[in-house]
Amino acid sequence: MGMLFSRLFASLFGDKEARILVLGLDNAGKTTILYRLQMGEVVSTVPTIGFNVETVQYNNIKFQVWDLGGQTSIRPYWRCYFPNTQAVIYVVDSSDTERLVTAKDEFHSILEEEELKGAVVLIYANKQDLPGALDDAAVTEALELHKIKSRQWAIFKTSAIKGEGLFEGLDWLSNTLKAGGR
Amino acid sequence: MFSLFYGLWKYLFSKIEFHVLILGIDKAGKTTLLEKLKTMYSDSEGLPPDRIVPTVGLNIGRTEALKSKLVFWDLGGQVGLRTIWEKYYEEAHAVIYVVDAACQSRFEDTKSALEKVLRHEDLHGAPILIYANKQDLPGAVSAEDLARYLDLKELNERPYMFQAISAYDGLGIKDGINWLVDAMERSKRFELLRQRADVAVAV
Repeated sequence: MGMLFSRLFASLFGDKEARILVLGLDNAGKTTILYRLQMGEVVSTVPTIGFNVETVQYNNIKFQVWDLGGQTSIRPYWRCYFPNTQAVIYVVDSSDTERLVTAKDEFHSILEEEELKGAVVLIYANKQDLPGALDDAAVTEALELHKIKSRQWAIFKTSAIKGEGLFEGLDWLSNTLKAGGR
Repeated sequence: MFSLFYGLWKYLFSKIEFHVLILGIDKAGKTTLLEKLKTMYSDSEGLPPDRIVPTVGLNIGRTEALKSKLVFWDLGGQVGLRTIWEKYYEEAHAVIYVVDAACQSRFEDTKSALEKVLRHEDLHGAPILIYANKQDLPGAVSAEDLARYLDLKELNERPYMFQAISAYDGLGIKDGINWLVDAMERSKRFELLRQRADVAVAV
C-alpha cells in the first residue's frame, strides 16, 4: 500500500513544499488513517501553545493532523498551519450521529479561513464498519456539503480499521490536484 | 470622481460569470464532458477519460466561451447523491443535462430524474441543454429520437435544445455551448440572478 501511495503522489507537487491538513473532531479516526497510509513515522508534538499536532512528512508533502472542537483560546494558533495548504482531508465518525452537528459547524468555520480558500476538500465518512454508520449521501446532507460552491470536494465511505476506501479518496485527491484543483 | 467612473466602467464591462450545472444520472458522462470543456475552453488540459472516476461530490470547471465566463458545476449522479442537486439550483443560470444515448435500458431512470429537475421552481426559466452523449458508441440514438423517447411535457416554459455529442471526442459540444451562452444572455433568469447578486453586494 505504501508503494501505491508513492505512485499516486510522486512528483505531484514538484519540489514545492505542500501541506495537507487532516482534520476532524477527536475520535474520528484521523491518526488511524495516517498509520494505515504507511507513509512514514507519525511524529506527535505538543507545542507550548497547547495543542497536539501530528505530522507525517512524505517527500515534500507534510500531512498534519489535529482535533477540531473544544478550547476556543488556542484556535488563533491553528493559523500557523494554514499557509501552502493544497488540500484538507476532513474525517467524520459516521456512527457518531450526536456530534455530526458539531462536526458540520467546525468544518464550515475552518473552510472560511482565508489561507484555505484555494484548498480542495476530501471528506472521509469513516467508521463504516460500525453498526448505524450513515452512508455517504447521509453524511453529505448532515455536513451540508452543498454549501461549498467555489471549490472541489468529494466524499468517500471509509473504514480506517479495515483500510477500506482510503486509497480511492487519495486517488481522487491526486487527480484533482494534478488538474489544478480549481 | 475618477474611481466612481472607473467603478461604473468596470461594472458595465466586466465579464459576466455564468453558473452552469451539469446534471444527469450516473455513468452518463458528465465529468468526461466537464474535462473536455476544460480542454476546449480554458488554458488547462482536462483529465483524459481513462483517469476519470465516478464523482461523489462536486467538480468545478472555470472556462471562457464567446467572451463569457462560464463556471461549470459537475455533480455526482448516483441515486443517493441526486438529493443535493437542488441545493445548487438557486444560483444556476442554466443546466446541461447529459444522457447516455447508447443505454436505452436507463432512459426511464434518466427521464424521471430530468422531470424532477424541470419541475423544480428554483430553476424556473433556466435554459436547458440536453446532450445525447456517447455518439461514438454503436447503438446511440440521435438527438431527435432521444427527444421522442423522453417526451417531456415540462419543456415548453423554457428555452431548450437537444444536441447529439460525444464527450469522448468532442463532437457536437461546441454547437450546444454556442446556443447555451446565447440563451443565457437572453434569459430573464439572467436579470433575476443579477438583481439578486446586486442586493447581496449592497447589504
